[in-house]
This record gives sequence, structure tokens and C-alpha cells, in this order.
Amino acid sequence: MAGIAEVIYQTIIRRNAIFLTSIFTGAFAFEIAFDSASNKIWDTINRGRQWKDIKPMYLNKADDEDEDDE
Amino acid sequence: MALSAASGSMLRVCARQQLPTTSRAAIASCQQQRGVASSFDSPFGPASKESTYKIPDFSKYQSKKSPRSNQVFSYFMAGTMGLASAVGAKATVQDFLVNMSASADVLAQAKVEVGLGAIPEGKNVIIKWRGKPVFIRHRTQDEIDEANKIDVASLRDPQADEERVQDPKWLVMLGVCTHLGCVPIGEAGDFGGWFCPCHGSHYDISGRIRKGPAPLNLEVPSYSFPDDETMVIG
Repeated sequence: MAGIAEVIYQTIIRRNAIFLTSIFTGAFAFEIAFDSASNKIWDTINRGRQWKDIKPMYLNKADDEDEDDE
Repeated sequence: MALSAASGSMLRVCARQQLPTTSRAAIASCQQQRGVASSFDSPFGPASKESTYKIPDFSKYQSKKSPRSNQVFSYFMAGTMGLASAVGAKATVQDFLVNMSASADVLAQAKVEVGLGAIPEGKNVIIKWRGKPVFIRHRTQDEIDEANKIDVASLRDPQADEERVQDPKWLVMLGVCTHLGCVPIGEAGDFGGWFCPCHGSHYDISGRIRKGPAPLNLEVPSYSFPDDETMVIG
């Protein structure tokens, strides 16, 4: 345990520039992961109710009747 | 006199010899006085020999890990907080900026699709785009030749006809006079193009200013031809 802590300290925390860089890199990665995860949850809860789910039904109709609906 | 002198000197000697003894005695008496003071009894009860302080046992709360791993934990928590606040700050700023930009329905209205098949050759069409009139002219070959014939260097706002059109058959311009913003009249004026009735600016068949107070040619919006029969302005 102490060995791992020492390795982490020496590689990441010891130099402030590396520490800050890894914080911002982590923020970037975290944001992507958080956004995609929350979007996935939202799509799962609202499956079948969103425009992207029902779009094919309406667009097939629009091709038959009128083409203004774009 | 001799005796008194002798006794005087003897006294002096005596005094010189006795001085150390008296001082030694004084020190001794002083030490004796200190010894007396240590036997003072406090009126607040007997002074006990052992300490009255009781130090609790903190070993239960003491970290069993190494100091380095505790340090790494503290830095990790601080770094995580920095990470979370960076993400939060970015999201806040982005929300404000997205709020300021045009929404999807506005962007959809900002484009206008025109069917070109309905415009015969040699005719003008005026459509509304973003609250402004847009002139579309289906030019004949004669008009294209006429627009190209002019010496560009002689114009007030020198611009060749090729710079103003994507397809020479279709001339697309904002119908707003560059002088004070009136809407020029089509197929009028001394140069066969547009004429602004407000202050008498004459535009030619390429929409370039030829005569009158306007300083610039009629503005050309961005447009594209998705296929042969349609044009999208915006």
C-alpha cells in the first residue's frame, strides 16, 4: 500500500504542473463519460417518446403526402 | 601616637582578613533561607508528587497507514474537488453561451428554399429571407454578356460579375439599397438592372452600383444549389 502511494506521489503529485495537468485531463475525460452516461440513462427512461425514435413513422408519411415537412 | 597608629593598622589588617569570612557567612545564611522557603505548605492542599494531567489514549484514532499514503489521499481529495469544479465551471459557461446562440427553430427559419423551375428566364423573383427581400433573377445569355462586357476598373465598387454569382444564370442579391436601405425596383433604371426610387441609385444587371448616391454594390447572401431545381439561401 505504501509502495503504491509513493509511486502515485512521485509521478503525479510531486510536481504541481503535472498535478494540475492531470486534473484538467481528468476533468475532460470525466465530462465526456458523465455526459454520455447521463444521455444513455435519459434515452433509456424516455425510450419511444423522443423525436429520434418516432421520426421514421412521420417521415415515411411525409414522403407520401407532402414534402414541406422537413 | 605610635600605638594608635599600630592599633589602626592592626584594625585594618583585621578588617581585611575578616571580610572574606563575613561574606562567606552571609552566603551561607542566604542558602539557609532558601532551604526554609522550600518547605512552604500550600494552603490549597498538599502538593502531590505525580502529575495531575491525564493524557487520553489516542491510539484508536491514529492512522495505521504510512504518512505518504495519507498525504496522497489528501491531495487526491483536493484534486478531485478541483476536477469537479472545473467541470462545473465549464458547464456553466457553456450553458450561458449556448443560451445566447440561435436555437434550432430560428436556424431552420433562417434558411429559405427556392424552387428554380418556377422562375422563367429573364424574370425577377423577390422572396423574404430573415426579414429582408432577396432578389433572384434568372438572367438571359444577353444579360450575362452585358454584365461581363463592362470594364470593372471603371466601377465605383469594382467587382467582376464572376465574383457575384455562383452560376451566371442565377443572380441572387439582398434587395436593400446600400445607400439608405430602400428596396430598389427591378427592371428599371438607366442600366437595365435595378433602380432605387428613394435617392436615384442605378444598379446594373449584376447588381453593381453605376449611378447615384449608393456607395456599394448590392450585397450577395450566401446560397447554395443542393440540386438542379432548388436553391437554398442562408
